[in-house]
Amino acid sequence: MKLDVPKKYVEKYIEKYGKDADMDKLQAVYERSLITPGEDVGVIAAQSLGEASTQLTLRTKHAAGIAALNTTSGLPRMVEIFDAKKEISTPTMKIYLKKEYEGSKQKATEFASKIMEIKAGDVISSYSINIKRREVTLLFDKEAIKSYGFTLKDIEKLLSNMKLDVDINDNSLIIKDKSADSVKKLIKLRNKIVGLTLSGVKGISRVIINETDDKKYWITTVGSNLKDILKMEEVDQSRTMTNDIIETAEVLGIEIARNLIIEEVSETLENVGLAVDIRHIMLIADAMCFSGEVKGVNRYGITGESSSILARASFEVPLKHLVNASLEHDTDEFKYVANNVISNQVVPVGTGSVKLISLDYGRKTEGKADRKDKKE
Amino acid sequence: MSLVFVDGKLVGKTNKAKEIEQSIIEDRRNNKINQNINVRYREDIDSLLVNTEGGRLTRALIVVKDGKPLVTKEDVEFLKQGRVTWESLVAQGKIEYLDADEEEEAYIALDEKSLTKEHTHLEISPLSVIGLQATMLPFINHNNAHRSVIAIKSVQQGVGIYSSNYKIRMDNDIIVAYDQEQPIVKTKIYDEDNIKAHPIGKNIVVAVMSYLGYNMDDAIIINKSAVERGLFRASFFRPYKVTELHYVGGQKDEIGIPDKDVIDYKSEEAYKLLDEDGIVSPGTYVEGGDVIIGKVSPPRFVSSIDKFRLGIQKRIETSVECRQTEYGVVDNVFISSTSEGNKYVSVKIREDLPVEIGDKFGTRSGQKGVVGMLVRQEDMPFTQSGIIPDVIFSPYSIPSRMTMGFLLEMIGGKVGALGGRFVDGTPFIGEKGEDLRKELQSYGFRENGVEKMYNAITGDEIEATIFVGDMLYTRLKHVVTNKVQWRARGPVQLLTRQPTEGKSKRGGLRLGEMEKDCFVAYGAALALKERFDSDKVTIPVCAKCGLVAVYNVKKRTGYCPVDGEDVPIKLVEVSNSFKILLDELKSMGIYPKLLIGSKI
Repeated sequence: MKLDVPKKYVEKYIEKYGKDADMDKLQAVYERSLITPGEDVGVIAAQSLGEASTQLTLRTKHAAGIAALNTTSGLPRMVEIFDAKKEISTPTMKIYLKKEYEGSKQKATEFASKIMEIKAGDVISSYSINIKRREVTLLFDKEAIKSYGFTLKDIEKLLSNMKLDVDINDNSLIIKDKSADSVKKLIKLRNKIVGLTLSGVKGISRVIINETDDKKYWITTVGSNLKDILKMEEVDQSRTMTNDIIETAEVLGIEIARNLIIEEVSETLENVGLAVDIRHIMLIADAMCFSGEVKGVNRYGITGESSSILARASFEVPLKHLVNASLEHDTDEFKYVANNVISNQVVPVGTGSVKLISLDYGRKTEGKADRKDKKE
Repeated sequence: MSLVFVDGKLVGKTNKAKEIEQSIIEDRRNNKINQNINVRYREDIDSLLVNTEGGRLTRALIVVKDGKPLVTKEDVEFLKQGRVTWESLVAQGKIEYLDADEEEEAYIALDEKSLTKEHTHLEISPLSVIGLQATMLPFINHNNAHRSVIAIKSVQQGVGIYSSNYKIRMDNDIIVAYDQEQPIVKTKIYDEDNIKAHPIGKNIVVAVMSYLGYNMDDAIIINKSAVERGLFRASFFRPYKVTELHYVGGQKDEIGIPDKDVIDYKSEEAYKLLDEDGIVSPGTYVEGGDVIIGKVSPPRFVSSIDKFRLGIQKRIETSVECRQTEYGVVDNVFISSTSEGNKYVSVKIREDLPVEIGDKFGTRSGQKGVVGMLVRQEDMPFTQSGIIPDVIFSPYSIPSRMTMGFLLEMIGGKVGALGGRFVDGTPFIGEKGEDLRKELQSYGFRENGVEKMYNAITGDEIEATIFVGDMLYTRLKHVVTNKVQWRARGPVQLLTRQPTEGKSKRGGLRLGEMEKDCFVAYGAALALKERFDSDKVTIPVCAKCGLVAVYNVKKRTGYCPVDGEDVPIKLVEVSNSFKILLDELKSMGIYPKLLIGSKI
């Protein structure tokens, strides 16, 4: 039986090899690439990735003292991606600039200093809390303020905007809070001010300028804030990215997040010299994203959402799942591998996914053992 | 003011800590105080530590003054002749023992050449940087340190005559290899140690080459004819011990041939090996399941139904059988009594262990491997002079492990065998490789140890030259006969009806979680089901309530505990463990209702 090769492949093939190209060859390649019906692609994907991950070590490379970034790699990164961690250990961004800006080093540096977050804590040299007068005194480092290019007045303005009672006294600011009735509240206030962003983009704690071979400048950062960076005028929105999958899903949507999962996993594996077919990774990324939000491969994510009670129970915390299923009068359709293995039935995979039907001519089947398809 | 600690206890303060330290050392060297007192002044915590207690590790070092060791050549000469003793050198303060604390403050030279004026001590031998066991290994200074650790581990597992009175000892799981030799290439420490009396290993001819493909991946090929002549022959001993216990109430065990009326009486055939006293006699061949010691015990629970039955109480049979997978000859029988006065019988079974495919062998360079094939002498390659190797070792084992000591030992062994002498392979201070090569050349061999060899099967000359030499090979205690296990059918566990686990219970080999995944990935669904059929049961399920019912085969009707008699029944084939799961769910108050569909 000949299978129809989709049009887009035929077009691409002709585009590459010309109109007289051997169509039988394309046909053969296409047929060979297809998955046979009943093939358990999920298990194969899991095995393909699992085998490779056994070779990953827990060791993370640390390049101390080098200005380059220190991103999580190897197994910890893989775990991070597949668990869909909300807060990843080393968020980082790759910021590309628009054509007007990326050619000049000066403009790139200007932009870099613009996005780098400076907190009030960076320019405060010491502080004191007066309980009696209910005020917090912050002593500022004049040199530091100058080097970042703003004055004490700017800070006062910022604080006044926050509806705080602020006084300037030489190098220090005195903040009064009459409503504060305990030291705890004053300390809270102090922490609030120390964590205040004076300039830059929130979350970007370090900025590194990179140069390509053709004298173009792009920026990597420590910390990630995709939403705010994309709003900036200088940024080329089509290329700028972060390695935070959840953040990407929130800002750019689930499709981009799926692509990012594929990219990050392949990159992590590539860095340690492992070759896993991208289709396995694509499958897992699809499984993580198809519900519309990124879900991890764990009991809070896609594994916990399996419709089979026994499959869930055999994975983690069985009691919880069994009791809940009984409370909700849940049924198990016995359509998965795990539950069929538990009850020793034919798994609906491979040769088990097809059934041979033969008609009984006149033979009595009454009282005979029937099997298959039980529900709980 | 520095603190003074004696054996970790604070005893006082002093202003002259350094002077006290010096004076203690002086006094010790002048033999005024005990040799085992050590002292150290620690500047960082400003305290003087004096150690006198037992259990500290100390080591002997030569005292150095002004860059010159106090032990002179004369002293060494006198020591050899016996005119001076070690103790007297210690008493003279020429040699002293330092503990871990005092050693921290000492500046020790490794050998005499590197002595400077700053040095305070000199090692007696550079060998002391490695442990006692490592000094037994020849040329390990040419090996990777990690290999030496492996080598020590495998030498520890070597079999030999572990004790001269092994015949009358009753140790558990002992392998004794006969006809073991001292190594040709040995170390100075080997000569000094008592291990000489218990040699482990044999000097055999080794060729480094690939042959017939049976020595891939660390496997070795062994000369079958040499094995038949007794190379590495060993025996495995297993003692069976029985005590004739006395119980409360005057009852006791009885060693002897059981009467026919005891509970669990086997058959007359089963006791045929026993002598009149109920014990097998030495020299009898026994197999798995044969009764070795006949024994009858009183019933375990005296207050059973027997109370109502008058007459003699039934006794139960508690004989000792030979282990299922083992066989052998009764080596020795011991009859004695315990300290409580009970009769004590132990029977030792000896099993012959000729070299088999899969037995493990090791060298003193950490190059260990299993036997891949036994090849007859006629089929083994031979050298120009007609030497046939006993072992063919794979050359691929050497480059990645960098065990140059292995190669040196082979050259050393060759030189020793040709010259009729022992070769000193002591690390650092033994014979040099160049000297050995020169000597080998003087015997008419190539200095690098290679020789032309011939393929014995075809008679062709082998194109490459083969590195051949003598070295010590050790048989290790991991023997295939004690480890092989297989089963097609056998015992099952009572609760789960799954096959038992472990060799001693004739258990099955588990098809685990990951292996299951392989079946699934391959798509072999029906084969997978068949693999897990070991505990399959057919349960009748009540079509009304979905619980496990009872099927009356005679009447062809079903009975359900919930719905009563004559309920429609569906027979379902499931694993017994699934049935247990259903039972357990029921026990915790969950109603597992089975809804059975049709077959298609």
